[in-house]
Amino acid sequence: MDDTATPTVGPDKLRALIVDDEAPARDRLRRMLEELQDVAVVGEAANGAEALTRCAALDPDLVLLDVRMPGMDGIEAARHLGTFEEPPAVIFTTAYDEYALAAFEAQAVGYLLKPVRREKLARAIRHAARVAGPQLARLADQAQIGKRRSQICARLGEQLRLVPVADVLYFTAEQKYVTMRHRGGRDLIDESLRALEDEFAPEFVRIHRNSLVARQYVAAVERTAEGQLIVRFKDCDETLQVSRRNAAEALRQIRAGA
Amino acid sequence: MSTPAPAPRAGAEGDGFFLPDFCQAPAVLAIVLIAALLGFVLALGRLSAGGEFWIELARTSAFLLWAGLLCAGALCRARPWLARKPLRSTIGWSLGIMVGIVALLSEALYLLGRWWAARFGTPSEIFPDAQAAFVLPNVLIAGVVGALALRYFYVSRQWRRSVELEARARIHALQARIRPHFLFNSMNTIAALTRTQPARAEEAIEDLADLFRVTLSDARAQIPLREELEVARIYQRIEQLRMGERLCVEWDVAALPARAIVPSLLLQPLLENAIGHGIEPLPAGGTVTVQGWLDGDTIVLEVANPLPADGAGATRRGNRMALDNVRQRLELAFPGRSGVDVRDADGRFCVRLWFPLVMHDRSEDGDVASQRADRVS
Repeated sequence: MDDTATPTVGPDKLRALIVDDEAPARDRLRRMLEELQDVAVVGEAANGAEALTRCAALDPDLVLLDVRMPGMDGIEAARHLGTFEEPPAVIFTTAYDEYALAAFEAQAVGYLLKPVRREKLARAIRHAARVAGPQLARLADQAQIGKRRSQICARLGEQLRLVPVADVLYFTAEQKYVTMRHRGGRDLIDESLRALEDEFAPEFVRIHRNSLVARQYVAAVERTAEGQLIVRFKDCDETLQVSRRNAAEALRQIRAGA
Repeated sequence: MSTPAPAPRAGAEGDGFFLPDFCQAPAVLAIVLIAALLGFVLALGRLSAGGEFWIELARTSAFLLWAGLLCAGALCRARPWLARKPLRSTIGWSLGIMVGIVALLSEALYLLGRWWAARFGTPSEIFPDAQAAFVLPNVLIAGVVGALALRYFYVSRQWRRSVELEARARIHALQARIRPHFLFNSMNTIAALTRTQPARAEEAIEDLADLFRVTLSDARAQIPLREELEVARIYQRIEQLRMGERLCVEWDVAALPARAIVPSLLLQPLLENAIGHGIEPLPAGGTVTVQGWLDGDTIVLEVANPLPADGAGATRRGNRMALDNVRQRLELAFPGRSGVDVRDADGRFCVRLWFPLVMHDRSEDGDVASQRADRVS
């Protein structure tokens, strides 16, 4: 078995990442996976955010993902994984979660109940499949956890940056990409403004066909000398235009949050 | 208070008999008040008949007071005997006792009035002058009022029982609801330890067995505080295996009397909440503090956990059910003498329980000083 820090795995082996916040649970899964012929464990992570960075760095084929974890839970992590160019297959693990179990069944997503049985683990791995974005969104909705993400994941090749939603000032769409402006700078993300609006309303308000602003960072809505409405932000001297078509509704929503 | 309060005995409310214990001070006080008020009402009623109000009031109240106290005394003495009878004959006998006492008292008063008139030559206004017109209405009033009182005692007993049953049902619902997640997680931990650390796995199974023995037992049971603290510690040990360094629990309970009697599962649900809602959402973990002390004759227990920055609302919601449950059981064990306070202070969620110190009732226990000296180590 391969015990080196940089896992070099035979080409025929499935590369697996174990994600669980409890060390004994990770140990047991690792031992069981290592006993399987065609699987190699390439790493472990203790929460969702860690799982994403490990995935970006290690590019595993399979992720065993605990549902309940502090910080970012398993379902949210899976949704971020779904935005990867080549997302790994995901198998959820949980000790007991009525809603999540019903959701896994409904969405035909692979899952295992802890304590995990050897045969079930082997079977789940044989049937493990990539899960698609919309499927995961429905899953999150049904499971009543990870419904809206707490963080947005921006990727630049191997580089991965997690930005708390609470730090995002606005999203703007330019041609193919969406730019996310946050307190730490700006990043490109591969998501549609429409989906972001659905997920994060009413904290984010659509002020223009191509911009979505965080209500909590709006300092003022002003009218320029030319009669154009603009949004001014807190802690940032940028402004965004409010389109005529969105003006009334946007103002109402911004005021509702004030 | 210089003597320890007796452990709650299976007394007036606990034995399921619907007649209250009339030998208790609150019942006697109630009878005195009711007699005074009823006397007032009857005296007012006779104002129109041209009677002298104050004399009317004095003699009616005095009569009712004596009738009430005599009835209470008789029922108190007869209570153990009545409790063994079927419901119908209990009611019949109780009513008979009350009517009989009023009849005898009325007759005695009439005779006393006759004697007074013979002795001093003039009849006093205080005493009744017509035998039938005095005794017969009194007997009828006693019958009606007695029947109403019995009906009231019976209904209020039924009501109290249904409240108690509801509380018990809630306890069971709570137990059933919090168990599964914890149980399966613990099983998983044990499965993981079995091969690598068999000794710890064995210990964890023993802990789990002890914990479930308590949670599956009668939730109304009262146990020594020492045992309740031990249950909470067992719970912590199991969670500790799972969460490792993320969980830190600071205990400060040395000042608590180990042999005080408490309802079981007071502290464990609070600790479970503190860990589940306070520590688990924190990726880096945190510290739960458990403090206990004696404030005069009141035991105070306090459990505090960090408030997750954005999950404060969820923490409070998740906590509410367990807190309501604990509050209800404390109220059942120490009516009006206990409480549960919740507050946020310095980013920590803090729950405080307080209830009276009741010592384990053992005759060889000697004086309070020796009991107080017996502290939790």
